[in-house]
Amino acid sequence: MKYQKAIRYLLTFFCIITLNFFLPRIMPGDPFYFLSSEQGEITITYSQEEIQRQKAYYGLDVPVLTQYGRYLKNIIKGDLGYSIYFNNDVRLIIKNRIPWSVSLVLLSVIIGGFIGTLLGCLSAWYRRGVLDKALYSLMIILSEIPAFLIGILFLLFLAARQGLFPLSGGMKPFAEYVSWSSRFLDIALHGFLPALTLAVVQMGGFYLIARNSMITVMSKDYMTTAKAKGLSTRRILFRHALTNAALPIVTRAFYSLGQAVGGTILVENVFKYPGLGLLMRQAVMVRDYPLIQGIFLTVTFFVIIMNLAADIIYKKLDPRII
Amino acid sequence: MMSNILKRFSTAGKISVFLITLVCFMAIFAPLLTKHPWNQPTGDALEPPSKAHILGTDDLGIDLWSQICYGARNSIAVGIGTALTACLLGTALGIIAGYCGGIPDLVISAVIDVLTAIPGLPLMIAAGAFFGPSIKNIILILSILSWAMPARIIRSKIISLKQEMYIKAAQGYGAGFSYITIKHFLPRIFPLSATSFIRLISKAIVSEASLSFLGLGDPTSKSWGLILNYALNFPGIYFTDYWKWWLVYPLLCIILLVLSTAVIGREFEKILDTKISSVV
Repeated sequence: MKYQKAIRYLLTFFCIITLNFFLPRIMPGDPFYFLSSEQGEITITYSQEEIQRQKAYYGLDVPVLTQYGRYLKNIIKGDLGYSIYFNNDVRLIIKNRIPWSVSLVLLSVIIGGFIGTLLGCLSAWYRRGVLDKALYSLMIILSEIPAFLIGILFLLFLAARQGLFPLSGGMKPFAEYVSWSSRFLDIALHGFLPALTLAVVQMGGFYLIARNSMITVMSKDYMTTAKAKGLSTRRILFRHALTNAALPIVTRAFYSLGQAVGGTILVENVFKYPGLGLLMRQAVMVRDYPLIQGIFLTVTFFVIIMNLAADIIYKKLDPRII
Repeated sequence: MMSNILKRFSTAGKISVFLITLVCFMAIFAPLLTKHPWNQPTGDALEPPSKAHILGTDDLGIDLWSQICYGARNSIAVGIGTALTACLLGTALGIIAGYCGGIPDLVISAVIDVLTAIPGLPLMIAAGAFFGPSIKNIILILSILSWAMPARIIRSKIISLKQEMYIKAAQGYGAGFSYITIKHFLPRIFPLSATSFIRLISKAIVSEASLSFLGLGDPTSKSWGLILNYALNFPGIYFTDYWKWWLVYPLLCIILLVLSTAVIGREFEKILDTKISSVV
């Protein structure tokens, strides 16, 4: 039983790598037909020799298993192939985009987690009151609306109508920054709305977890003792209750880091934020298959590693879990 | 049974049922409700809402009300198609894994584990890019990705049911797998399947809208997500007045549909006492 989780993760990694290998190979159609046709009309036809040469060049002339072996070796070396459209190494392209996406995900989980937990504590304290009921309904609604729709609303009302924030991009194009701080300010201003959008969606989950966990803790005897001692509400809430209710919230944070990825891909496209999500859409639009595969692999690995981290942390923090 | 459940719905639940009925009505009677085709220009480009075009027109002069009515068909089709396929598959595999145990259980559980660990959207994007966007493909990919949720719940329910005396008694009298499944298991797991069915509908609608928004929707049948995609790709949509009808109506439609399916899912969970919304 102890190794079950480890086996599960290994199996998942293996399945994803294999799936990534077979995706282009079970795709309907022939790449040479695809290359030689333009909008449904065949314009150039390859001769048999040329097709052979191309196949040898791309390593498609050997049995599938040998191809799979080569592919595995490349993945382990970190070689993700060559992007047709951007004319560059897939790994390099992805490496340039990762900081944007990761900072967005991190920031949104921190903001969303902080606000969600705070509201959850309040809700648990005033349980069954008006505030609790209103917050509960609001958070349920917020957690159900897809992130990109909230993003569109923010973009429309806060950026376009009010002009408070820049409309798109990660920083001003061709800007010359006088100082380090103005550069930072510009990037922060551009990242604010995408991060806020994702944070709003994250908030609901944190709120529910925090509220649940706090309600459980508050029914404990030591809470009654704390109240009887006449401690201030703030001290009871944040020193006595929250520290004991924190475990599920921390686990949730890591889990959220993985879960936020799907929303991030979409929200980046709403704000044209230069992360992996926007890159993935560009790659899909120009059908740059090696790049799509590279991003798919990177993103999926990130999510699974975050889930793994959530599992490990949960176990570390709570020795009762086997 | 259904009318009983409906009676116990809260106000929000009743409003949601009304909204969903409305959307279904729009989808089914789309040809009667619209005077303009959904795929041909019938007016000037970007007309504001008027008598002729009650919700205005888009940049090609196509009536938006028609697009939204016919788009409802796609959203509903993807939602119900996916949920039905995934739910049937998940229920069947869940029962088999739970009842048979041994190697079938090991294999099915392993597949469930892997499927729940893979993040949905990136895989959907990759698969959509490789297999081409069409309603059929979208339903297929979504079904393959979403049957694990009902299967896992039903498997554990069956395992606990198997321990009950009346099942053991039935087995003792020589009842076979299919008899026990139909007579005893199905009535007991129906609430679980029904709840996950509704949960899956709302998930599928969101996924379809997300894919369409990324430009991976079926271009031959315009869904709400695709209308959004076109509207947002229109340069300057935010600085002109066009967003007031072109962007707002499809956005409102998606949000209302998603929220009402989610509310109904929660009501079902409460009434049938099947807590399945997973938060860690």
